[in-house]
Order: sequence, then C-alpha cells, then structure tokens
Amino acid sequence: MKRNNLAVLIVVFCLILAGGMINSGEVAASETIRLGFVADISGVGATFYKGQKAAVDLFIEEANAAGGVLGKKLEVIVRDAQLKPDIGANMARELILSEKCDFLIGPTSSAVALAATKVAQEFKKIIYFHTSNTEALTTTDFQPYMFQVVPNTGQEGRGAALFMSQRPYKRYAYIGPDYAYGHDQFKAFKGELGKLKADAELQEIVWVKLGETNFSPYIPILMSKNPEAIFSSFWGGQLSSFVKQAKPYGVFNKAALYSLFDLDMLRVTGQDMPEGLLGYSRCPFYAIDNPEMKAFVKKYYDKNKEWPADWAAMAYDGLIALTDAIKKANSTDSDQVVKALEGLKFKSLRGERYIRPEDHMANVGIYVGVTAKNPDFKDFLVLKDVVEVPAEKILLSVEEVKKLQAEKK
Amino acid sequence: MSAEYYFFMLINGLSQGMLLFIVASGLSLVFGVLRVINFAHGSIYMIGAFVAYSLSTLLTGTSLASFLLLLLVVPPAIALLGFVLEVSLFRRVYREEHLLQLLLTYALVLILDNVVRMIWGGDPRNVARPEILAGSVDLMGMALPTYNVFILLVGPVIALGLWLLLYRTRAGNVIRAAVSYPDILGALGVNVSWVMTATFMLGCWLAGLGGVLVAALANVDLSIGMEKIIECFAVVVIGGLGSVGGALLGSLIIGVGITFFQLPFGRWALVFPYFVMALVLIIRPWGLFGRPER
Repeated sequence: MKRNNLAVLIVVFCLILAGGMINSGEVAASETIRLGFVADISGVGATFYKGQKAAVDLFIEEANAAGGVLGKKLEVIVRDAQLKPDIGANMARELILSEKCDFLIGPTSSAVALAATKVAQEFKKIIYFHTSNTEALTTTDFQPYMFQVVPNTGQEGRGAALFMSQRPYKRYAYIGPDYAYGHDQFKAFKGELGKLKADAELQEIVWVKLGETNFSPYIPILMSKNPEAIFSSFWGGQLSSFVKQAKPYGVFNKAALYSLFDLDMLRVTGQDMPEGLLGYSRCPFYAIDNPEMKAFVKKYYDKNKEWPADWAAMAYDGLIALTDAIKKANSTDSDQVVKALEGLKFKSLRGERYIRPEDHMANVGIYVGVTAKNPDFKDFLVLKDVVEVPAEKILLSVEEVKKLQAEKK
Repeated sequence: MSAEYYFFMLINGLSQGMLLFIVASGLSLVFGVLRVINFAHGSIYMIGAFVAYSLSTLLTGTSLASFLLLLLVVPPAIALLGFVLEVSLFRRVYREEHLLQLLLTYALVLILDNVVRMIWGGDPRNVARPEILAGSVDLMGMALPTYNVFILLVGPVIALGLWLLLYRTRAGNVIRAAVSYPDILGALGVNVSWVMTATFMLGCWLAGLGGVLVAALANVDLSIGMEKIIECFAVVVIGGLGSVGGALLGSLIIGVGITFFQLPFGRWALVFPYFVMALVLIIRPWGLFGRPER
C-alpha cells in the first residue's frame, strides 16, 4: 500500500512538472511577448525606476488595448539589479532562461548596462538602453543585439563644449563625480572644447567622490582661478546638493554653471534652484512640441498624477522603436528584428528618429536651456528657451565609431 | 594665488574641522570612559540628521527660531536613544574583550542603518538653512557662506563647554576619575555605571548635534553615517583615543588638510587623513594627545 502511494505521488508530481512545462512553453511561444526589465530599483536608482516603470506600464497598456504586437500581448517582468553589474548580469540571465523573456529593457546604471549587454549578446536577445548612457555601449563594447535611445556620455560632453564655446567664455573649470560617467563626459568635453575654441583655457579640474554631498572643501578649489564657466557632470541628488551649497559661496555670481537638469533633479531641488543657470536635459517633455509627446504626457499625467521624467519618456521611446521593428520584421526572432532595427525610422516622442546601422545609436540630441520659473509648474523650476542640439552635431562620426569598435576586437 | 585666498581656504577648512570635531569628540569621550570603540557612532549621527529633517518638515518657515529649536530638541532626543542603547546593550559588554564589543557595535550599525532605510527610505533629504544663515559674508572679496561661519562659531563653544564640564565641575571630575581609576571611584561610593550611562548619552548628544548641523549643510542620505565614522576614527587615532583636546586638534588638521592638499594633489587629497593617521601611528601610536596604554 505504502509503495503504491509513493508511485501515485511520483506520477502526480511528474504530471505537475510536465503541465508546468507545457504551460510555460505555450506562454512563451505564442500568446505573449515577454519583456524582461533589468532595473535598478533600490538605492539611488529608486527615483529613476519609478518613472521608467510607469512609462513601460503605460506603453504596454496602450499596445495591448490596441490588440498587441503581431497579435500578441506584451508583458513585463522586472528584476532588481541593485546598481551592481554582477547582480545585473545574473538577473538578465534569469530573465532570459527562467522567465523566457524575448527582449530586455536596460537599467539605469551604465556599469550594469555593460554587464547586461554581454549577456544579451551571449543569448542573442535584444536589449535597449534608455537611461544608462555610456558611449562604450555603442563603441568599444558594441554588440549587435542592442540599441540606445538616450543621448550618450560622449554626446553630453561634446554638447557641453559646443554650447559653452559659443558663449564668450575663455576660462573654464570642471567638477564631477570620480567614476566612469564623469570621466567619459570630461574626456569628450575637453577634446571638443580644444577643437572648437583654441584660446579656451581649462583651468581647474575637481574630482569628487561619488556620493559625497558636502562640497565645502571642493568649491573654493573650483573657484580658485576665477573661472567664467563651469561644466559639472553631477546628476540627481549629488547635483542638487552641489547647487544648494554653491549658491552661498557666490559661485553663480561669478561663473556660469552648465549641468544636467533633468526633471527629477529639478523636482528634488524645488525652489532652491537658482534662476538663470545653463543646463541641459535628455528628454524634457515640457520643451518638446509635437502631438505624440503631448498625448503621452496627458495619458501619463492622468494615470500617475505626476509629470513624466526624462527617463520615463526615453523608456517609452525605446518600446516604440522595438515594437516598430518587430512589426517591420513580422517576427520576434532576434536576428530578424535586429535587421529591421538597423536604419529603422520611427516616430519617437521627440519627433522622427532613426537608428544608425553602424552603432545602433538613435539620433537623439540633447536639449539646452536656462533655468527659470514657469507658471505651469508651481513647485519647481524648468529650463526655458530650450534649443535642441541635434544628434548629428555631437555624435561620433561613423569612421570614429568603427575605429573604436575595431579596437576592442 | 594670493595670501587672501589661502586665508579664505584656512577659514573654510576650520569650519569643516569644527563640524568633524563635534561628532568625533563624542566618539573619543565614549571610548575614554567606557573603553568601547563605538562603531555605531556614525549611525547615531545619521539618525540625528534624519530626525532633524523630519522635525523640520513639521515646523513652518525657515526662521532662526525653528532652526534653534532643532538644535535644542534633537540632540537630547538622540541622547535618550543613547540611554536606551547603553542600558540595554553596551552595559553588558564593558568587561568583554574588544573583539566582542566591536561585533556588537558593528551589528548595531547594520541594524540602525536598516531602521533608517525603513523609516526614511533611500532618497536624499535636507533641512533648509534659516534665512539669516542662508546667505554669505564677504571675506576679503570672497563669499563665505554664513552657515559655515555659524559652524565655525558653534565648534569652539562646544569645545569650551566640554572643557569646562570636564575640568571645572564635579561631574567632570567624576568622569575623569572614571577614566583613570574606576575601581577606586566605585569604592568611594560613586555609582560608576551611571557615570558611564551619562557619558554615553553625552557622546550621543554630540553626535545628534553634528547630525542637525550637517542636515542644513548638505544633503543627508544613508551613506553619511559610515563616511563620518571613518573620518572620526582617523581623528581619534591622530588626536589620541579618549582625548577631547586631541579630537579638536585632529579634526582641525583633517578639515584644513583636505582642502589644502587638493591644490597640489587634486583627487588624491582624499588620502590625506589616512596618511596622517599612518604617520601618527608610526611616530606616536597612542596619538598626539593620548597616553600610552598602561
């Protein structure tokens, strides 16, 4: 009797296992397109993630209401990479192997992105990057199963040089966080400034530990040679802290500051943000005038009772490009979708864009302007007189990209 | 660069050093009396900063009065937390070896940091400076934030207060006696264990004061506790464990040094505190103001 029981148990167990397999196989093969989101949810990534996830959810809701993509419903599965490359790689692997995801959505941290892109290459699954923006992803660490819809660190550094060199400044200073992102931007900035303005003088370069929020020891050094213009690579909370402390040191009376003023940073800083600072944003919804963006902002605001941060709009743009490519390829097969992606023209929230075949970089520019109060936003300042610096002016040339891609191999 | 600029840097650095002193003196004092290296001192300081933030959101306006209220209310609240910690935990390990004490205080770091994470989350916070301290004063043509001047004034007041307390009052005599001759003090009928509790609370009061001051200086987040405790260790090693005067000197050396060494060395100035620490350990292992262990 006992023996029989055991046999029954084993049979039942096998049936459950088999059933599970049939089930998951079915889901992956026909019903849905599964998007695996390698996200940075905890720590300083939390604010970024909130906007990204809300935008991804919104896109999926709309796409599914319209009948899905190739008749399949979209679905997102999220894993926390915790801003750590090794965890990010494991999560990407898990999303592909256990969760049977067809495509991956990238993280916030560039370090995690560099780890995830390798996993994507290994399993031939397409990943797109919307917030993490190291230029290396499209140059030295390029692999074909990726595309990037966020202006990269090289563009940001060269854009800063382009914007600041057009103004009558001669004496420049730099301050930024002492890790890859800051160094990438600085390198691009320094190179381009030298090219554009021969008499420009880069007087003082100050590196601050990532995460340091007390700038008292650094600001007097930054100002020691009386620069006329300062480029800062700080972002988010660290930038907000820097701006607040720089004000009473009289920094803004003496020099023009140029930095990344994304919506989340502007919201955090609130009314402490001085007026008249120079800055740029990667995707400021309030300065982009086209019907797609307007419709997106309205839907996003109605649903979340909050304005979409830059990261939200860019995460959304990535899904537009991805689903367009899937439709164009009429398949979810990675190789065919990659083929469709190369040179793909898509209607992004930022206007018509295309994906450059050589490095899979979308021709997205940066938006420069001046901080100002705006009656539409009571609690925080935004940029005004915003001008888009088109991607073509600040992207690496195809030759330069190919050279860098070849170096690695 | 002009002499004026160096003077400006000196004043600015001294202000940094004073803030460090306020926190480090608490750590040093606690070690002097309790002989426990309190790893959790930084976490207690961080809690002070976050409590100050929460309280500031309840107060309206950025008047000097509401900021002074923070300075008045938060440090005693943190001292109260110190009371709970001392009576429930620290008291039990005074006679144990240092390794066990270190395990306890390190465990406390993990626990307190996670409590802060649960209550306040990971977002950076800050306390608005009162309007009167938000501007800057002119120091030979350069703008020095009024708030840094304020810290520069608070520091010596605290140092003087501690000195008066330790050397000019009976309570101070008892504390100093507890450092040198705890057994005899007990034999004289003084309740040594309450002396220790009071000292621990004083140490926490100082950490809480530092927390309030830093919350209006810079953004506070989950990392500030760990960062501060490392700086504090450098300070007490340089100045001598248990010596308040040493903590003052060590803090000022580090505060001024970090700023000045950036001129020639740039980002490598971060190494400065550890370099001085190593130097002191080689030349005078018990610190500039400390005494060799008996």
